[in-house]
Amino acid sequence: MSKSLEYAAALAFVAGVIFLPQRAAADAAHGEKIFARCKACHAVGEGAKNRAGPQLNGIFGRPAGSVEDYRYSKAMTEAGAQGLVWNGDTLAAYLAAPKNFVKGNKMAFPGLKKPKDVEDLLEWLKTESGGSAEASENVASPSRSSGSEGADRASTAAPAASKNRPAHGIYNLGRRATEAEVAAWDIDVRADGTGLPVGRGNVMDGEELFTEHCAACHGDFGEGTGRWPVLAGGQGTLTDERPVKTIGSYWPYLSTVYDYVRRAMPFGNARALSDDDVYAITAYLLYLNDVVTEDDFELSNENFEEIRLPNEANFKPDDRLSEPEYAEKAEPCMSDCKPGPVVVDMRAAVLDVTPDADNGEDVGAGSVD
Amino acid sequence: MKDDKPVGASRRSFIASALAGGASLATAAGTRRAHAADDPLITETQDWNRYLGDGVDAAPYGMPSGFEADVVRRDVAWLTADPVSSVNFTPLYALDGIITPNGLCFERHHAGVALIDPADHRLMIHGLVDTPLVFTLADLKRFPRENRVYFLECAANSGMEWRGAQLNGCQFTHGMLHCVMYTGVPLRTLLDEAGVKTSGKWLLAEGADASAMTRSIPIEKAMDDCLVAFAMNGEALRAEQGYPIRLCVPGWEGNMWVKWLRRLEVGDQPWAQREETSKYTDLLENGIARRHTFQMDVKSVITSPSPQAPVAHGSGPLVITGLAWTGGGTIKRVDVSIDGGRNWRTARLDGPSLPKALHRFYLDIDWDGSELLLQSRAIDDAGYIQPTKDELRAARGVNSIYHNNGIQTWQVRQDGVVENVEVS
Repeated sequence: MSKSLEYAAALAFVAGVIFLPQRAAADAAHGEKIFARCKACHAVGEGAKNRAGPQLNGIFGRPAGSVEDYRYSKAMTEAGAQGLVWNGDTLAAYLAAPKNFVKGNKMAFPGLKKPKDVEDLLEWLKTESGGSAEASENVASPSRSSGSEGADRASTAAPAASKNRPAHGIYNLGRRATEAEVAAWDIDVRADGTGLPVGRGNVMDGEELFTEHCAACHGDFGEGTGRWPVLAGGQGTLTDERPVKTIGSYWPYLSTVYDYVRRAMPFGNARALSDDDVYAITAYLLYLNDVVTEDDFELSNENFEEIRLPNEANFKPDDRLSEPEYAEKAEPCMSDCKPGPVVVDMRAAVLDVTPDADNGEDVGAGSVD
Repeated sequence: MKDDKPVGASRRSFIASALAGGASLATAAGTRRAHAADDPLITETQDWNRYLGDGVDAAPYGMPSGFEADVVRRDVAWLTADPVSSVNFTPLYALDGIITPNGLCFERHHAGVALIDPADHRLMIHGLVDTPLVFTLADLKRFPRENRVYFLECAANSGMEWRGAQLNGCQFTHGMLHCVMYTGVPLRTLLDEAGVKTSGKWLLAEGADASAMTRSIPIEKAMDDCLVAFAMNGEALRAEQGYPIRLCVPGWEGNMWVKWLRRLEVGDQPWAQREETSKYTDLLENGIARRHTFQMDVKSVITSPSPQAPVAHGSGPLVITGLAWTGGGTIKRVDVSIDGGRNWRTARLDGPSLPKALHRFYLDIDWDGSELLLQSRAIDDAGYIQPTKDELRAARGVNSIYHNNGIQTWQVRQDGVVENVEVS
């Protein structure tokens, strides 16, 4: 595709975006106010001279990069050489996103976000610069020959960028997620039940599924085998020396059970269970924890929120900094901080649970899960 | 020696012999110093001084010297049911400075290491946003990126020590910790691209692995200093650290730094996921549990001498060194005690002091060869002081598992052997 045709194609797209929605009449007075943001660099009108940017007299109909005695960027000179001519459409596209429309040009202005601002500005500039927008709708009027290496390089940069004018955000990177894609990944369930799929499952079906998919690690009754998590029991043990933290004794919300089983279980075969299967297994876990007592209990998205786990109330926000060791913030003691010589009262070697220490099968306290 | 296998036996036999015939360490050093005889390592031409070594084509990706073969991550088998959902530990005792080498950064994953071709990876942002978006890794690499050094500490680091000294080595007591330089895109940049609605107060981050790890993050934190990283220490993330992308949540629990990051959902409430209800909640003595204890605490540990890094040279100049860090910002000061906390001296911080990164400290002493009870105490720039283990137990009991930042004590015996102890 020739350079000028590419610009034409780019403009067709841009023009559609910029000019289709706007219908209020252009307001040249408002345009003059907008120009206040331009005039630090650009002069227009009688006697206008080049400043940081080229003077704008006769801009409409003028090839890009063609004002005498102004030092253009290579990009702008090349764009002009390839047929870019300033008119209402090209200026609108350029002013909306200067960096994208002619990649590598040196105008520092980030662009006018509102199409109406662009329109008003051009309305005012059309009169002020002594040009006519109508006179130069012809985009394709290459003033010089094309085909140089530099032109080829520019042709890959400028039009491609202009076709990608922001549709979202600042960089317009990435693409819109489809509804099906979001639905495929958005499987989280919140404590208030948001995200629960439509479905149902009962305790008896759950027992069968649990025995097949879960019991190898968690035990037939959720008691846990080896160091795999215990899922049931433990109620009333949270203040014991060795608390047993299970769904029934510790977890605050049933939604977490459904969410976690659906996203991560069975271990090593995640996402293999149907939504109804997960309801059934969740129902069975409620039964194992005595939260429900009927073995024909059926859990569904409809009665889910009626179920409350026993330990829900026993959580509180982070208040570590109110503890005395933090709250004081006093300058710490530096000398004679303890009354007498310090005595060792516990040794790791006595326990002998460190790996590699010839300790056979000994295991220590605590676990990571 | 063409064979580059280390001369010394494994750390296991080293520690064993150190513990058994402990006196040998100091004696050997003393003997060497007494000898005024000519050192054959100098007077005789050595193999490496005569024969050629490997060419530049021998190791396209370089590995540490074979003499460092003991410096590896280690796990504690009895901690978990299965190594696929487990943790290993950074060998802090053998490292210096503040940067952890990529291959030694501890691993914690819940369903093994996901192997993902970067061309197949997607990151989705959706929920309360103007435009739900999908990014490829190539897309992410077109955003302006930043380089930042952060520590990552598992909230359960030192969790096995609540009931008392248990594991003999800072690798095991403090090794769920690493610190690297990340390269990535500020999370704020990506969220701005999608346009977070004003009703968006929380963010759910989700991994692509078989555990589909999820954590809820307050939107203020997400917009503050979080990073979506694709490189660590200058190279692509290691597979076990979330290749091709992970979330960095600086200063906060390591569990929130979701690896293999694939989804970010904006919502108006936290999601009460497994890792923020049944786990990563801190059970107190009265049966009440704290939740959303996100920030990591002011903390330090002496890494050498330590049980895996005994003193082999006898009395005289001794470098005591360690690490200090805080989720709140920078470390202002570290004090070191050699007598179990009776008297303290302020240590020397060396190297960069970067917010939410590890800080390296040193105390250079002239050891008289008597028993030492080494402790370190960190103070952060907000004025918070690392507490003793007993202070934490008094406030919380011993069943919290997480957020144990108590002061660690190492006993250095006269023979140089070091042990994890508790003192009163």
